[in-house]
Order: sequence, then structure tokens, then C-alpha cells
Amino acid sequence: MSSSTSSEIVVEAKNLGKAFQLYAHRNDWLKQVLLGWWKAYFKPFWVLRDISLEVKKGESIGILGRNGCGKSTLLQVICGMTLPSHGELRVNGRIAPVLALGSTFDMELSGRENVLIGGAVLGLKRSEVLRKFDSIAEFAGIGEYMDQPVKHYSMGMRTRLAFSICAHVEAEILVVDEALSVGDAAFQRKCLDWIDNFRKTGTLLFVSHSMAEVRRLCTRAIWIEEGRIREQGDPNDVIRSYHRALLVEKDDVQRFSSGNAKQAAAGE
Amino acid sequence: MISSDRPSQRLILEAGRADRQYWRDLWRYRELFFILAWRDVAVRYKQTVIGLAWAFVRPFITMVVFTIVFGKLAKLPTEGAAPYAVLVFAGLLPWTLASSILSDASGSVLTNSQLVSKVYFPRIIIPFATVMVGLVDFCVSLVILAGVMLWYGVVPDWHILMLPLFVALAVLVAIGPALWAAAIVVKYRDFRFVIPFVVQIGLYVSPVGFSAKVVPPEWQLLYSINPMVGVIDGFRWAILGGDSPLYLPGFAVSLLVTAFMLWLGIRTFRRTERGFADLI
Repeated sequence: MSSSTSSEIVVEAKNLGKAFQLYAHRNDWLKQVLLGWWKAYFKPFWVLRDISLEVKKGESIGILGRNGCGKSTLLQVICGMTLPSHGELRVNGRIAPVLALGSTFDMELSGRENVLIGGAVLGLKRSEVLRKFDSIAEFAGIGEYMDQPVKHYSMGMRTRLAFSICAHVEAEILVVDEALSVGDAAFQRKCLDWIDNFRKTGTLLFVSHSMAEVRRLCTRAIWIEEGRIREQGDPNDVIRSYHRALLVEKDDVQRFSSGNAKQAAAGE
Repeated sequence: MISSDRPSQRLILEAGRADRQYWRDLWRYRELFFILAWRDVAVRYKQTVIGLAWAFVRPFITMVVFTIVFGKLAKLPTEGAAPYAVLVFAGLLPWTLASSILSDASGSVLTNSQLVSKVYFPRIIIPFATVMVGLVDFCVSLVILAGVMLWYGVVPDWHILMLPLFVALAVLVAIGPALWAAAIVVKYRDFRFVIPFVVQIGLYVSPVGFSAKVVPPEWQLLYSINPMVGVIDGFRWAILGGDSPLYLPGFAVSLLVTAFMLWLGIRTFRRTERGFADLI
């Protein structure tokens, strides 16, 4: 098989673009449903534009960007959650999305039961989950709470459990989306140590607003702005330019709305 | 760390092209199907006092009411020598199975929105997993049916062996429209109000409380366009045997309608499921 050559690149994106349909008025949506074949009543809202990206096996990519720049959408597309509007994507390997898993828990069920579901969602067999269960429980470190309904968990405990499941699915690609900020310092360190170790064998896609974490874990950083890659390369260089930009371009409250108007105008 | 016994997983996405490996994915996620089915059963009677007993109480009371209203008050004829209560219950079983699958499965993608919006797996697993809940309740009802038949001294003959076939048919009748609705309701939430209405009306236009033979012969074929007619007829044929002969042309029509709706349901679901995460 040609796997020796193709397995080198685990994520390959070509000209990825993602647009949502944006309606100015509530009625426009109904018009689109009834008369969509005649003309479009929505403005395309481009969240991602022309993203081309190659991630090699064993790389650790840090993704930077301000809120709403398209980081999470990019990860969603890579995880196969949502289809790109144009472009092409190849992913080679089992993906474990860390933060995502915590919000899939069923509140009525116990931690133990959610471990079974979480494992299955990530493609593990029941027998595999059962075999690893003690190890998962130990890593999560939530003790007796394992048999309580998840609705009684704190946010931190949910994150602990979610991270612990993801740490045990033997993923080839780990997607960490601002996951660790809710855990306490000791657990954060445990997770970072684990990720550090994971990097020896797997590929990491890491979204964080903590530049120290990105510096420590990543071999390459990608800075995304308004759906495009603005800069990529050595983490130290990218972080420096990103910080400089943050100082100059103050937090603009009109950013989201004016961005929409600009894009709407561009869409016409 | 990475075990070598598991084949590497590949995901190829191209805008506007259907995912060719979908059915292979479905097989790979078969364990998820069983776990979701088990979860649906486990959650169903959580925080209820009498738990699974609800699966006994509801069909039993419905049977008593229907027997009084249709058999005693309206004085509708039964089939052959069968007691009216058995006739009603033989219709109520498949109806409850099909209608609970239709209501559960059609809302299932929305109720599992937290899963759908956060992780990838073939979404069609979700509505199919809800079938198991209906089947568990159905098995409980079977026990009541056995009790009622024992009470009236009705002994089934070899026809009863065909019952599993009609159980499968009841599931198929329901899952087709349910898949269609589960996909549509994600975008058009209006259908959340349509499904309970369809179930409510369906109870009266399907031969649940009465025999399908009440319908005049010249309308029989047309009546069978409602696929539940075929299913319920089949159930009565299997349970009451010679007392309730199967009307074959009508049964064939019901089968055709079922097959068409199943095809339409799967097609609609497959075409829209990739967009679920954007709409939820």
C-alpha cells in the first residue's frame, strides 16, 4: 500500500471555504424556502476563506486568533462535523475532539455510563472501553462522582472526564479547543504533560488563548483572522506578530457587526 | 501507543460530493448503535416512580377503553369468534409500536443535538437506535396480550409463528416516515407539531379499535394505502388465525407504500444529514 507516503500528511486542506446563510429579516428565510429557486434571499457569510493547510504526522499546530475568527469552524470542518462550502479536505487518522466531548454528555446518566457512550462516539468498542475503564476513572480523578448523574458535576469535573476519555481512545489526531481553561491548575498540568507525551506519537491541533501553552506544545503556529490564514510559521514569531497586532487593533466592539456589513457588501 | 490491529481511519471531504464511505462508517459505528439504544431505554423511565410498569398500564387501559367504546357502545362486529378485547389488543400492539417509533425517531436528531453538533458519526444511527425503546415496550405488551388471550381462552395456531415478520414490518412502516421527518424537522421545526397530529389522526384512520373488514369491500384496496392497515391485518391474522383471513391485494399495496416511504426516508436523511450541525 502507498500508506507510507500518504500517511506522512494527516490533514490536507485545499482552498477550504465555509459560508453560512445570513438572513436580514425573518421573512427572508420563508421567501428563500418558497422562492429559493428564483433568487437568493440570503447573504453568504464567509466564516472560512481559502484555507490551505498541510499537517504532517507528528506535528503540533497551535491555532491563534481572536473570538469569531473561524478557529472553531475550521476544527469543526476538520473533524467532519460540517461540510465545507468549497474546497477539499483529507484527514487520515482517528480524531479525538477534546472539549467537544464534554458537551455531549447525557445529563441524566452517570459518569460511568457516559464513558461508554463517549468511547463509542469516538469509535471505540464496548469491550475496549470496559478494559480501559479503570484507567479512565483514575485519570479523571473524580472518585465517587463516577456513579452520579453528570448533571451534578461541576464544569471542571466534566472537562476532567471528557479529557480522560479522549486520552484513552488512542487517537492519531488530538483536537484540543480551549479545553483546559476550566480545569484547576493541577489538572491542567496533568493534561499538558499528557499532551506533551502524546506529541511523540500523534498529531496535535491546539487552540488556546494561552500563548505560554502554545509556545510549550506547538511546533508550528497558525494565526487566523477573518477566516483567512494571516500568518504561520515558528510559534515565537507568529505569537510576536499576533501580540503586536492585538496592541494596535484594539478590541473593537463593532467588529462583528461591521464585519458582517463588509462581507455582505462583498457578497453582492 | 497506536495499536496496529485497527485500520487507520480516513476521512475525505469534498464540497458538494456525497461521502462514499458512508456505509462502511455505519458498520464501524455499529457498537454506537447498541449503546445509544441501550441509553434510550435506560433514560426512558428514569425519574419515574413506577418505571417500566408504565409500559403495562398505558396499553392495558387503552384496550379497556377501546373495547367498551367500539365493541360495547358502537357495537362494531369482531372477526369470526374472536373476543373483541383480543381483536383490539392485536391492533393496538403494532399501532403502539409504530406510533412510538414515529414520534421518538422523528424528534431524535433534535433531542440529540448535543451529539450531532459536536462529534462526527453516521447520524442515521440516532433514529434507528430509538427503535429499540419501542421494541422493549412492545415485548411488555406481548405479555399482556398473552394474559388477555389466556383469560378469554383464545389459543393461537401455527399462524403465530409469522408474528416476528409483522413486527419487522411495523418497524419498517414507521421508520421510513420517521427518517424523513427527523431530517426535515432539523430545518423546519414546524414538523414537531405535525408528527403528534399525524399520530393522533392515524389512530382513528387505522383499524386499531375496529376490524378493517368494517370498511366496504370496494374501498378495501384504497384503504390499504395506509400501510398500517396491512400491518394490523397481518397481526390479527397471525394471532387470531383462521378467524381473520388476510386480504392479499390490500396487503401488497401496504407493502409497496412502505417500501416507497422507506426509500424516501433514507434518501432524504442521507442528503441532509451533513448539514445538521450547521442548522442545530
